[in-house]
Amino acid sequence: MKRLLLLSTLPLLAVASILLGQAPAASTLRTPNGDKPLSVIHQGSQTYFAVDEVIAALGGTVRQESGGFKAALSGVEAAFGPDSRFAVVRDDLIEMPVPPLSAAGKPYATLQFFQGYLSRAAALDATWDAAGHILMIRPLQQTQVSVGTSLANVQGITKVVLTLSGPADYVIVKEPGAYTIRFKSPIRAPYADQAHDDPNVSKLSFSGNDLRIQLTSPDVIADAYKLDNPFRVVLDLRKGTASTTAPASQLPMPTKPVEAPGIRTIVIDPGHGGKDVGAIGPDGTTEKDLTLAVCRKLASALGARTGARIVLTREDDSVVSLDQRTAIANQYKADLFLSVHMNAAVVKGARGSETYFLSADASDEIAKKAAESENASVSAAASPSSDLKLILWDLAQQSYLQESSRFATDIQEEMNAVAGIQNRGVKQAPFKVLVGATMPAALVEVAFISNPEEEAKLKSDAFVTTVVDAITRAVVKYKTDYETRIGVIKPPPPAPAAPATTTTTAATRTGT
Amino acid sequence: MRRAAVVVLALVVLAAGCRKKSEQTGNLNVQNNVAPRAARLYFEGPSLLLMAEQRNVQAPQNPAGAMAVVVRELFKGPANPGFARAFPADTVVRGAFLLPDGTGFVDLGGATLTQGWATGSHEELMAVYSLVQTITANFPEAKRVRILVNGTPAETLAGHVALDRSLVPSAAFLDPRAR
Repeated sequence: MKRLLLLSTLPLLAVASILLGQAPAASTLRTPNGDKPLSVIHQGSQTYFAVDEVIAALGGTVRQESGGFKAALSGVEAAFGPDSRFAVVRDDLIEMPVPPLSAAGKPYATLQFFQGYLSRAAALDATWDAAGHILMIRPLQQTQVSVGTSLANVQGITKVVLTLSGPADYVIVKEPGAYTIRFKSPIRAPYADQAHDDPNVSKLSFSGNDLRIQLTSPDVIADAYKLDNPFRVVLDLRKGTASTTAPASQLPMPTKPVEAPGIRTIVIDPGHGGKDVGAIGPDGTTEKDLTLAVCRKLASALGARTGARIVLTREDDSVVSLDQRTAIANQYKADLFLSVHMNAAVVKGARGSETYFLSADASDEIAKKAAESENASVSAAASPSSDLKLILWDLAQQSYLQESSRFATDIQEEMNAVAGIQNRGVKQAPFKVLVGATMPAALVEVAFISNPEEEAKLKSDAFVTTVVDAITRAVVKYKTDYETRIGVIKPPPPAPAAPATTTTTAATRTGT
Repeated sequence: MRRAAVVVLALVVLAAGCRKKSEQTGNLNVQNNVAPRAARLYFEGPSLLLMAEQRNVQAPQNPAGAMAVVVRELFKGPANPGFARAFPADTVVRGAFLLPDGTGFVDLGGATLTQGWATGSHEELMAVYSLVQTITANFPEAKRVRILVNGTPAETLAGHVALDRSLVPSAAFLDPRAR
């Protein structure tokens, strides 16, 4: 009986000990509005503060939404959940060392949440006096600038972005194997050290008002520039000493473009059509109608500006399969293929244009298929299968990736120049409509039809004309550059005062 | 006597068969044993790139069984209201399996994907790569992912991303902070 009692009590004790470990302790919240008691949970090395109590003391609210919470203060919302170390404030992320907790329906978060959120919503700072058990909320020091970092590597270039809470003066110091950004005013660092598995950057370290970017090798060089709204310092780091890309002479040139006499046929592909309506805007506008409207105008403009034969994959609201679209381009022996689309995203506020060419993961698959075909070469040679044909198509496309990248870059640069369109850059993706095209091929996403502002713009003739003009300039530029490279157009004699853009414009006029 | 010998032999064979079956069943029981595991799930963040949420799920210990459970957890959507669900809300997991060559297969269904998903390339890319990233991040055995719709190879989900080949994770769609 005694044993039975002990056994039945053990689970209760275990639960009680867990609860004791998480039980909110009495602490003080000190805000400009006065002192209040505050629930605090200590778990491991972390200290969590009751979000609803802090936000309510400052005049804000916290509510439950889906599996997480939303705080609102001074018209600024913060979304956070128990499974993620990140809180979302507007389009920005606040990084915490551990995810928030939910205890008895109340959210608890670490100090970093309050520092990140309160500085953005109400220019307030949060500090924790562990000895006195006081969470202090007070106006942010005007001179202190919060710094956030992000790092991404795209095509060998590492982009380190420092997002600042306000403007700050700084100098960049080059040291052996590192760059140091030395801020001239006090900064709040998000962390001490952060290691990175990146080809160019091994570690970011904050010390005092310095951010040290530790490089993987001494031959990594950097371009730095500033951006506003929000204030950002961007460093593009890459290996090499001179240009951003490898010299053209070192790049493998695709076989067919060298042999071709120039850009004589261009296939324009209005995305979707028929029962495939594509994306639908909040006002009911369909992607298929917009792509057709843009492409009809584009075909007319390109015909006039380039003198090339322009072919549309569809001229009305008909269904054309993705394979048929590239088959049309291949049948016409097109020298250039451009698919035109309108974008959509579930995230509110998504906007801007982006241009794609075929991705490396598609190429990986091509390599795998090629290896498989070598293993099965005897049977394949005896009877060429549809798989082998597919491999040959894919290999042909792979040889055009370099040219597709140039073409996509030209398109995106011109789209960037279109007033009011946010640049989302050149990207790579395994898009079906690009897979089978045996010529330089790109897909442009003009704007987000899911965004009410951009949907309204896309319905205006003036905006469509601006977009068509931008794409036309890009195609003319690519055509001129390409034909100059292969010797169809002679480059103009070098003039000391004439920059590259002037040369392009002059050649364009000659071409038209 | 001869009849008795046949019966004894039959019983011996039957007993041997039972022992073998019992061992197999034992292994299967271990494989199907449901245990808690941490799942890293990828959703669209405010940067329009994928962010991760860490969640505990009850899943079988065999990878293929666990894969379906983890993907179903992904389709429940994010806990953080600042993140967005990448797939249509009515998407279901019909099945998942893993080939010895490291290809994870996921068979999807649901009204939207069956009738044709009317959306842009960005949303489609986020959906496809949230799935690819979730599977390859949680199952090291899965090096690549092949997506089926209603049990058959699909050309695309919404007219853009080619699904006639297996896909590998792409850092281009992942927020650097989610790594």
